[in-house]
Amino acid sequence: MTASATSHIDIAAPLLQVQGLSKSYGGVRAVRDISLAISSGTVFAVIGPNGAGKSTLLNLLSGLHQPDDGTIRFAGVELVGMPPHLRARHGLARTFQKIRLFKQLSVLENVLVGYHTRHAIPPWQYLLHGAAFQQERRRCREQAIDLLEFVGLSHRASIAAGALSYGEQRLLEIARALATAPRLLMVDEPAAGLNTTEVAALLLRITNLRARGITVVMVEHNMNLVMTVADRILVMDYGQFLFEGTPSEVQCHPKVISAYLGADVP
Amino acid sequence: MSETSHGADRRRLSGHSIVRSRHFRYLLAAAVIGLLPLVFTTSYWRTNLILCAINVMLAIGLDFVLGYAGQLNLGQSAFYGIGAYASTLLVTKLGIPFWAAFALGTVMAGAAGALLSLFAVRLRGHYLAIASLGFAVITYQILLNWISLTQGPLGIYAIPPPPPIALPWLPRIPFTNLANFFYLTASLALIVYFLLDQMLRSPIGETLAAIREDEISAASLGINAPKWKAFAFAASSAVAGAAGCFYAPFVGTLVPDAFFVTESFAILAMVIVGGMGTLIGPAFGAIFITLLPEVLRSIGDLRLILYGASVTLVVLFMPGGIMQAWRLVRQRLFFFAEESAT
Repeated sequence: MTASATSHIDIAAPLLQVQGLSKSYGGVRAVRDISLAISSGTVFAVIGPNGAGKSTLLNLLSGLHQPDDGTIRFAGVELVGMPPHLRARHGLARTFQKIRLFKQLSVLENVLVGYHTRHAIPPWQYLLHGAAFQQERRRCREQAIDLLEFVGLSHRASIAAGALSYGEQRLLEIARALATAPRLLMVDEPAAGLNTTEVAALLLRITNLRARGITVVMVEHNMNLVMTVADRILVMDYGQFLFEGTPSEVQCHPKVISAYLGADVP
Repeated sequence: MSETSHGADRRRLSGHSIVRSRHFRYLLAAAVIGLLPLVFTTSYWRTNLILCAINVMLAIGLDFVLGYAGQLNLGQSAFYGIGAYASTLLVTKLGIPFWAAFALGTVMAGAAGALLSLFAVRLRGHYLAIASLGFAVITYQILLNWISLTQGPLGIYAIPPPPPIALPWLPRIPFTNLANFFYLTASLALIVYFLLDQMLRSPIGETLAAIREDEISAASLGINAPKWKAFAFAASSAVAGAAGCFYAPFVGTLVPDAFFVTESFAILAMVIVGGMGTLIGPAFGAIFITLLPEVLRSIGDLRLILYGASVTLVVLFMPGGIMQAWRLVRQRLFFFAEESAT
């Protein structure tokens, strides 16, 4: 179904196209008229001061909240109005700024849940585990361990996810999101709680994901990471579009500098 | 740190791999079921055994939706009643064969459970508990007041036992005696246990646990939580319905009071005392809660106080129930074994 829906779209068209997206909570206009286009296989960073609406933007894209206005087209499909679990089936995955792991499940089980949409087991084999079932389980476990290997948590596979350190929990969220085989992965502050060495490792992993053809949307405060890894950067302030461009363009743009440093625009 | 020592425990314990294998445990359970009526020969104890088997089904059914999917459902008494009344009325009023009525009663209870799950989409925790309790009260009132169908408080009498099973090359198995009836209910309980266990050891187990732990995360991974809640409710209430289908011909009479809401709380007590979130715990919890008042019968009315007190004490000091106690004992035993070995 997904294959037929995507086959006739233009290759040059962006993977994700957002038009005039707005969302208010009471009197607070968290996101105001945001438009953006993200090409397939790129790393797209969203930066801005605290309260700029970055996380709200991710919540609108993942379907946790519905926008008041605007459209979101992902691989030729309109996402507005679609519940989060269906967006995940279309290839959209995310991590959360406030960690939302399945704390009582083991690290490995957390990743295994991510295979939910990808199982191909005859229904009756859920009751009587046959050869197809065993094979599928083995395949998922192996792939899940590979994903844990990728984020550097394979040695922690059997402990409870709640027992991981803060930084490890963030990495586990990434592994769990990757288990859904996403086309677009949204990571909300992946470097929070990581030390310098871990940030360097995270940078390599994100580059690796891009090389595998996964588009990454990243909300992040760590400017070193953003400037090194991002292909394009969206700067938001007070819920509004401030600037969008390459890292070097962003770094010398006067509006961005004033938003961050509070200087007057000359 | 404690995790690594736990892992080490597991590795060492794997020395007794035969005892720990699932096949062995199911064979052991079958053997115990086979022996029980030979040990307990009085009709009093055999009646209690049958009640245990029925309550085991009710408890593991509730545990599926409560301990795994995390939905506090207090409507179990209603599903139990729906299964009992539906199968009995189908047999007595329409003359449908018992086993067909059993299947239909189970399906109807399951469908009612799926219907109740619509509340679970919007309601959580205590609110869902109150809504499901309301459902149990309404069902009880219907059973009590729809006199033309259920004969209300007068009850339905002389419900026949299930017809004998005639397998080729074997003697006919009648269910007019308590031992055979126990074999029937206990076999069904074992089959239900096996099927629930299989589902929980499949991706379904992880899916339900994910919904219990964090619904928003679960949705972000493509899990349709309302659909899976409906599934968990349906499976749980179908099991309760199946138990009800056997309760009716076992007692021989049906009155609505057997399915009053207090029954839901008794089933909840079985799950909690046994240790929710494990399947074997609530099974033992059901046996414990069923037999405790009988064991204490000799001390008269004091037994009710003792019964209430012991359940309260378990909840207060051993929130993981029998399973928590068992793990503790096993750890201690293991510790001593280790000591003597070194």
